[in-house]
Amino acid sequence: MPIEWVNETKEAPEISGASFHDRGQPPLAVLHLWPHRSLPKKGFVLFIAITFVLVLVPLLAVIGTPVLWGLLPFVLVALALMWALLQKNYRDGEILEELTLWSDRVTLIRRARRQPDQSWQANPYWVTVQLHEKAGPVEKYLTLKGAGREVELGAFLSSDERADLYLILADLLPRVAASAAPGHQPHA
Amino acid sequence: MADAAIHGHDHEDQRGWFTRWFMSTNHKDIGILYLFVSGVVGLISVLFTVFMRLELMSPGVQFMCMEGFMADPCTPNGHIWNVMITYHGVLMMFFVVIPALFGGFGNYFMPLQIGAPDMAFPRLNNLSFWLYVTGVCLGVASMLTPGGNSQLGSGVGWVLYPPLSTTEGGMSMDLAIFAVHVSGASSILGAINMITTFLNMRAPGMTLFKVPLFSWSIFVTAWLILLSLPVLAGAITMLLTDRNFGTTFFDPAGGGDPILYQHILWFFGHPEVYIIILPGFGIISHVIATFSRKPIFGYLPMVWALVAIGVLGFVVWAHHMYTVGMSLTQQSYFMLATMVIAVPTGVKVFSWIATMWGGSVEFKVPMLWAFGFLFLFTVGGVTGIVLSQAAVDRAYHDTYYVVAHFHYVMSLGAVFAIFAGIYFYIGKMSGRQYPEGLGRIHFWMMFIGSNLTFFPQHFLGRQGMPRRYIDYPEAFAFWNTVSSIGAFISFASFVLFIYIVWYTLTRGEKVTENNYWNEYADTLEWTLPSPPPEHTFETLPKQSDWDKGHAH
Repeated sequence: MPIEWVNETKEAPEISGASFHDRGQPPLAVLHLWPHRSLPKKGFVLFIAITFVLVLVPLLAVIGTPVLWGLLPFVLVALALMWALLQKNYRDGEILEELTLWSDRVTLIRRARRQPDQSWQANPYWVTVQLHEKAGPVEKYLTLKGAGREVELGAFLSSDERADLYLILADLLPRVAASAAPGHQPHA
Repeated sequence: MADAAIHGHDHEDQRGWFTRWFMSTNHKDIGILYLFVSGVVGLISVLFTVFMRLELMSPGVQFMCMEGFMADPCTPNGHIWNVMITYHGVLMMFFVVIPALFGGFGNYFMPLQIGAPDMAFPRLNNLSFWLYVTGVCLGVASMLTPGGNSQLGSGVGWVLYPPLSTTEGGMSMDLAIFAVHVSGASSILGAINMITTFLNMRAPGMTLFKVPLFSWSIFVTAWLILLSLPVLAGAITMLLTDRNFGTTFFDPAGGGDPILYQHILWFFGHPEVYIIILPGFGIISHVIATFSRKPIFGYLPMVWALVAIGVLGFVVWAHHMYTVGMSLTQQSYFMLATMVIAVPTGVKVFSWIATMWGGSVEFKVPMLWAFGFLFLFTVGGVTGIVLSQAAVDRAYHDTYYVVAHFHYVMSLGAVFAIFAGIYFYIGKMSGRQYPEGLGRIHFWMMFIGSNLTFFPQHFLGRQGMPRRYIDYPEAFAFWNTVSSIGAFISFASFVLFIYIVWYTLTRGEKVTENNYWNEYADTLEWTLPSPPPEHTFETLPKQSDWDKGHAH
């Protein structure tokens, strides 16, 4: 699932009740979400490497003749184009949604290529998380509502992934809100 | 922030006819455009074959005369003959089979099968298609501009061997080279697009070895195109400079080597034949599994066989040129490497047979074509093994045996796969089903016609009739007449096919189901309505939609 909790365990964090305020304290939890890409970076390297080795085969046959210089540019341009367009495809799909949770604030920042960053923030006490089965543009549309706005979260994930994420957030958000209650002390 | 859009409206298709078909960036529309244009070009190059078989029907020259068509008395006009074989080859190789299988079916179904919303670069896809159309126009223009022998067109053969191609007069040859350049650029851009889509846009959970076989075949094909077509582009660019700028890459007078051109041409040319046939393998795998009501036998070996055929295709090129004076060691190597290809090909053929084994085989029209493919491709493969023997090739080189061999694998192999694909998918693409009875007649006419055309050519080759001649001694008359009759039957079947397509599109029975075959047509395109809406898989498909337990 292309989501990651930014902490040591990579799991949804336990919220122990200690409060962490947005003024100068580290957040309780940070969640990154991005669209699925099926080619890992290692796969990219492997594909380009195998392709490179295979394009050398015809060149072997013409080493030492002027014909080499007639073939080389075409072969290398094709390889370079393949490289560049695969990289462009990675960039085209680069969207990062960053959900940061403090005891007294929730922020969501969406960074996408060639678009200004979009952001939303609210107090977790008032934030509700909702899963719209059919009403949204995608099935199981996940939204966060607070500070007078309703914003989407992970619309690029698959519907099962959004359903899982909903359960996690629906469990987490009340505990985040509770951690802000008076009487709680931050960790020593 | 992206504000939530609850109660969003569904997309409506609001494109006009011109926008939809001339400015399309939609992979399904571009796929259909590819199929139609390659169909038209196919008709042109099939008409050439009718003209050629008419001429070869009886000894002597009756139709291709200096004085005009069917003049009496007739002075044989070899240039027309040479032009016919050249453009039949160029059009079929570059502008019919690759665009139909790779451009047409590949564009339409590969993104659907992997659950991608479109190709990775939709506008590049549009550019590929229009470059292809430009290439077709240049190719046809080349035939109608002044060329060699102070006549129209070039008669140098599709391989464009120097010194023939470098000394051919007029500008027809230059236009032909540009046509191949442009179509090459189109194919390379298309291939990069397909590779990127396949590698990076598969649905979550669809690891490489869960991808349907057709999509795999398109990927391997795209990869072969990426590796081999730049070599061809380089080679013909050097032809162009040899012709026009006084370079001597392939001219011994200036230290060049014409044999070197043959090496690089066939370094492209051999992968090219796999580029033509591999997508056909993919289609046939789906058709056979569907109509045997069994999952494909040996999915993993089938994938590795595709990859192995692709890789081996790069190291066997010189078996096309045993007679150019290579050393014994070189010939032995190319002979052995060539025979090794029979192993992965055998894996595929036996896996198809094993898929049918014990299955509940149903002979709907697509399955008839797949059956025909299986049998005839195997026949062509077997004569391929014969030709791979360097010693035996001394006798068969440049005879009709070779013509019969490569038409069995391409005309009867790739083309049967195209027809299997069209009958299999026409309901999905158009929303209307083909008429079953007419489809059967089409199959049997084509099966009988094309076998009648090409099987006797084995005999002619064994008797020593050389390729690429307008005339022949009387001793070859009988089988040539039979072959010509076969060609006319095949042509009639093509005319029938055009009628079937017209009939299906205008009055075919409406398809109401998503999957009008059975549950063994289990790839993602069968979860969509027929025809699919403009936008498909804008949201990711569920794994349960495509990951069928019984499949692998």
